[in-house]
Amino acid sequence: MKHVVSVSLGSSRRDHQTGVVIMQENIQISRQGTDGDMVRAKDLIESLDGRVDAIGLGGIDRYLVVKDRRYEIQDAKALAGAAKITPVVDGSGLKAVWEPYVIRQLVARGVLEPAQKVLLVSALDRFGMAQAFYEMGFATVAGDLIFASHIDYPIASVEELEEFARKLLPDMIKMPFAMLYPTGSAQDQAPVENSYGKYFDQADVIAGDFHFIRRYLPASLRGKIMVTNTTTAADRELLQFRGLKTLVTTTPVLDGRSFGTNVIEAALVARSGTLPDDPQWDRVVMQAGLQWDVRVLNSLPDSGKGD
Amino acid sequence: MLLTLEQFAEACNTNARLRQMNRDWSRTIAILPTDRPEVFWLTSKEGFIQAGQGPVNAADLQIRADHDIIVAVFSGTLSPTEPYNAGDLLVKGSQDDLMRLDIITLLIWGE
Repeated sequence: MKHVVSVSLGSSRRDHQTGVVIMQENIQISRQGTDGDMVRAKDLIESLDGRVDAIGLGGIDRYLVVKDRRYEIQDAKALAGAAKITPVVDGSGLKAVWEPYVIRQLVARGVLEPAQKVLLVSALDRFGMAQAFYEMGFATVAGDLIFASHIDYPIASVEELEEFARKLLPDMIKMPFAMLYPTGSAQDQAPVENSYGKYFDQADVIAGDFHFIRRYLPASLRGKIMVTNTTTAADRELLQFRGLKTLVTTTPVLDGRSFGTNVIEAALVARSGTLPDDPQWDRVVMQAGLQWDVRVLNSLPDSGKGD
Repeated sequence: MLLTLEQFAEACNTNARLRQMNRDWSRTIAILPTDRPEVFWLTSKEGFIQAGQGPVNAADLQIRADHDIIVAVFSGTLSPTEPYNAGDLLVKGSQDDLMRLDIITLLIWGE
């Protein structure tokens, strides 16, 4: 049986293992958090190199793909370089291909409607999803500056998002990753008091990275739809309690949790032998039989206990 | 140095997007060259930046580096990340403020 491991900079409290069927083959997957410790993560990748079929990088992006440019985060490059034999992937290849498709399918099936307002908490790590929202006519706010840098400035067009990427990313990829994204125990922190509730309030759809969403989660999500992944059963309980109407996860739910894109991408690479920069990658993703998951958490518009 | 900081302030103040970003960012920043006796400051209030020379009380952020590095950073010929990562630019204050200054300089001179 193929075996993939997700080495995450996230909290070890979320460690787990299970199996997934990819292209009619069972693949054993496990996640090992290193609590934000880059050295531990590098050592773990070195120890797994040559012993597993693929390694996922969790809690950190290696590549930020914006339109036709790909930016490589230096800390992630160093981590990936610890493996000399086993391929190391970060989920960006899956996000670029699969997530825009999911958004279009959700519209086709009536789960989402382009008249809705979208808050995409971070778009530079999910440009494909952002582009799909913008192109389909959703009024979309990208919250990268708000939630990652605490600058209260909503990005409201794909052109402006691209401009920010061109100006900021060549330099920001050199920063210590912990300055850009919560790692380790920061991921376990309870939702913080903040002044960004207006962006959640104004949105019908909340999308993107769940750690950012959870960290700034407002008291009420009544009637809203969320599109994310890496949610656990406890997260679903929290979202249900806050009144969320529908939770969509772009990756399959296995043993009660939706896995990170790095895990599914690693499983795809292990099964297919095709890497994300291969011209055949899009076909591999689309023919892998992946499933998104739609769960109605509160069926009545005014249900939930969020406020 | 003062001319560089004044030009930086003007670049911020004539940029509508930066004014909007900084509208709720009130800070006093002490600029302390390590190889010169003079000290300088920047203030941000209601979206506008001002620059000046002389000591300040209770700075929210202190920036220490050689004169030439500070001039390079605030004139856009050097991104703050490189000297910061190399330990040649020392910043005392919140990480958010440091990140914001970096973003401001990149939005003025990036690309």
